[in-house]
Amino acid sequence: MEIIAIILLILLVGSILSFLINRVNKNFTGVTAFLVALASGVVFFTKVQSGYQFNFQLAGLDLQWGLTDYSYYFAYIIFGLSVLALLYSIKYMEGKARLGYYYASFLMTILGMLGVVVSQDFVSLFIFWEIMTWASFLLVIYNSYYKIKTKGIKYMIFSAIGAYAMLTAIVFIRVHYDTLLISEAIAKGAFNFEQYIYIPIFLLLGFGIKAAVMPFHVWAPSAYSKSPMPFTTIFSGAMSKMGIFGIGLVFTTFYLSNDPENFYWVRTILGWLGGITAVMGTIYALIQTDAKKLLAYSSVAQLGYIVVGLSTGTELGVMAALYLAVIHAVFKGALFMVAGAVEKQVGTTDMTKISGLIRKMPWTFFVALVSIIALAGVPPLGGFVGKWLLYEALITESNNYILVVVVFFSSTAAFMYSYRFLFGLFLGQEEKETEHIKEAPVTMIIPMVILAVIAMIAGSYPGLIFEPAAKAMEAIGFQNVSWQMSSLTNIWGDTTDLFLISMMIFAVFIIAFIFLTLKGLKKTRYVGTKDISTSGELPKEWENLTFQIDFFKPFERAAAPLYSMNMNKIWKNLGKNLEAFFGFFRKLYTGNGQTYALFVVIFLVVLLLFKDVIFS
Amino acid sequence: MEGILFKILGAFLTAILAFVVGMFYGGLRRKVTARVQNRVGPPVHQNFLDLMKLQSKRTNIAHGFMGHLAPVWIIIAAITVLMFIPILHGDLWFNNLTMKGDLIFLLYMMVFGSLGMALGAGQTGNPNSAMGVSRGLAQLAGFEIPFMLSLIALMLQFKTTSISELMQVQESGSWIIVQNPFAFIAALLASLGMFRYSPFDIVGAPAELASGPRSEFGGKYLGTMMTGGAVFAFIKLVMYVDLFLGGAGNNNLEGIAGTALGLVELLVKTFLLYMIPVFIGLVSPRFRTEQAIQFFWKWPTFFGLLAIGWALYKNGTF
Repeated sequence: MEIIAIILLILLVGSILSFLINRVNKNFTGVTAFLVALASGVVFFTKVQSGYQFNFQLAGLDLQWGLTDYSYYFAYIIFGLSVLALLYSIKYMEGKARLGYYYASFLMTILGMLGVVVSQDFVSLFIFWEIMTWASFLLVIYNSYYKIKTKGIKYMIFSAIGAYAMLTAIVFIRVHYDTLLISEAIAKGAFNFEQYIYIPIFLLLGFGIKAAVMPFHVWAPSAYSKSPMPFTTIFSGAMSKMGIFGIGLVFTTFYLSNDPENFYWVRTILGWLGGITAVMGTIYALIQTDAKKLLAYSSVAQLGYIVVGLSTGTELGVMAALYLAVIHAVFKGALFMVAGAVEKQVGTTDMTKISGLIRKMPWTFFVALVSIIALAGVPPLGGFVGKWLLYEALITESNNYILVVVVFFSSTAAFMYSYRFLFGLFLGQEEKETEHIKEAPVTMIIPMVILAVIAMIAGSYPGLIFEPAAKAMEAIGFQNVSWQMSSLTNIWGDTTDLFLISMMIFAVFIIAFIFLTLKGLKKTRYVGTKDISTSGELPKEWENLTFQIDFFKPFERAAAPLYSMNMNKIWKNLGKNLEAFFGFFRKLYTGNGQTYALFVVIFLVVLLLFKDVIFS
Repeated sequence: MEGILFKILGAFLTAILAFVVGMFYGGLRRKVTARVQNRVGPPVHQNFLDLMKLQSKRTNIAHGFMGHLAPVWIIIAAITVLMFIPILHGDLWFNNLTMKGDLIFLLYMMVFGSLGMALGAGQTGNPNSAMGVSRGLAQLAGFEIPFMLSLIALMLQFKTTSISELMQVQESGSWIIVQNPFAFIAALLASLGMFRYSPFDIVGAPAELASGPRSEFGGKYLGTMMTGGAVFAFIKLVMYVDLFLGGAGNNNLEGIAGTALGLVELLVKTFLLYMIPVFIGLVSPRFRTEQAIQFFWKWPTFFGLLAIGWALYKNGTF
């Protein structure tokens, strides 16, 4: 039996097994699922090399599974994040209902994602894509199990639209090019815009919905924030990257052609959609009061950057996109885990209800701090590298000068929600209600800290990610992708030496820390958050000094025109209008025989009047 | 080995220069303000005295770990950025790490300190501090847009993202203020927000928010922040001089004389530049945050876009 089939089988059997084990003993479900994912991950990385491939026939169709460097790159994200998320799940899900359902769907999602990257033909791609979507839908509605009629419906509808679009494209590829293999379709130019423009458009639609590109992003914030947090880590970290994977695949034709004019309009439109996604995601993230919602909107924004990077189509731009795909999985995974830890320990992530957790949950705060710095793109952590690559790609290699300002605005505004997240949960006034809070369990801390450490290392040695990324890019049509271990260079030859920067910052940090902080720590006593300067008035015990509501009201006022554009409203209006439109057609069926007779007569009259035109 | 020692000595010299000039300018600003308001004002070296007083104080109470770290972030950002900014043209002493980081890096590194300090201010629990931070971050999103537009215009026009190379461009040709005046206007208007003097002083907002993010800090911590602020003022001025006013030290003299002349040139240019936000601050009332943001998104952004158009016209794209 082929090794890939065995790995997929392990996941399938593990999924069923964890469902059954939950019937026997609830304590072992999480551990089983974790071990299954770990085992399949270990088997995958030890036994499967990129370039592996096998063909088989099913129902008369030639199917092909295998791995290129490009899909291998995404397999890193899938397994790395899934294993950590499952380890995290063990304690997070402890004592919750429907564990079997949760872990079975979780493993099925991993199976679906792995299947998507190993499929080298459209049929298995579509099947695995649907497995992934359905399994994840089960997890989206996990928390609102008894109200599924209203919750998760947006995700369902948009996924269905995406799936139909993809299926249509696949059918057309089969009709026009007589192939189902992806590599053959690329070789025959199926994704080219000159011949059958609707094929790549439909495919981009299908993948773009999963990658939450404007205007199809409206499902993402609610789906991300409603799912259980361990699942959201892979939902936002890994599964949205399947959309990115697909977009990259469609653009392979363009990358291969090495012609900047090719795909020009599609890339420009997609790039702008990505840029607008980034801005809208960011400005909506910063007015959220729920930390989970904030992170969900921020994920949408970050995916926007990745789409911008892919659509530049230059070496630096695609490198930026692939790098951001990994680093976003790392820091956003960690941040969703942080939100989950807070939810687990406090019971809510509503920032207007809790604050000042830093002294109660120091490790969680440390992870949140590191990941937020990475998210904000401030050196010397991993996020900066992605931002640098993206800006330099846009400025030096493409001619989207305004787009770079849009992206830059989005990432400057991102400072606001970054601060809001840290301040809302961990800083600010210490409340009486949160006095009893303890640090999260160790098995929840470990995966978070691992991710934070990766984000830190990536800041000094991004080459560790560039190496597989460069290989992946060579697999989708680039040649001789250059990269350095710890320095960045653009095509004009300007460099940024990350190792030097990190060392510099680290050295100053150590010196300042010893002479300032350590001394301060020793010689001072902590006085709490009520003992502050308030112009001579002593704040009473009962006085509320928390500042959490309408945190960025001034910005909201300044950017009011931006906020008035709401995609949700547009979709809702579209839905209503469609309803009215089809309602009109429904009126034709009056149920009266005379009306139907009239229709027949009208039809015949029209036929007679225009017979020359129609039958000529 | 000698090279490394030389480098370290140069780094120290740069830091001392930035510190002294920055503090001195702060005192000068107080003096000028006083004279405009028809007061005598403190002596020019008053800031040094203040700093000495602050550093000799003992801190007794603390507001948590991030509070302890807040001044550390500021010092890190100040020194790191200082090391990557070219002070004088090709001078041995002040040529620290100038070729190792480009403008995008500097742009991001410059917010590092404020963000770190915002975290410290957040942990104190003072609502004034949090309010100041919220205003500061919102204002940042305002003035960074014209600033970025102006920088992009320069990058496009001269096909480089390195600040040293932009200086070299001006060594042979005319200053960038002549080559792309719109970029200078946009950046200058953005710098008003960067310096946070009136009308953009809503962040600290004296008499309204205590002193904003700094409310809870005193003694050595406030002293360190003051030092960092002084160094940052110097950094911003030198950066503008490097980018638009031809840099300093572009003379034919050899050795110490050349360096000295360069420093004098730098002082004159930075001083003149510094007086622009100071004088505007003296005659302006305070903007509310949303007014400030909207100001930056109107004319400065327009000039920024114009600068990009100009740059594209000049480099022959259209």
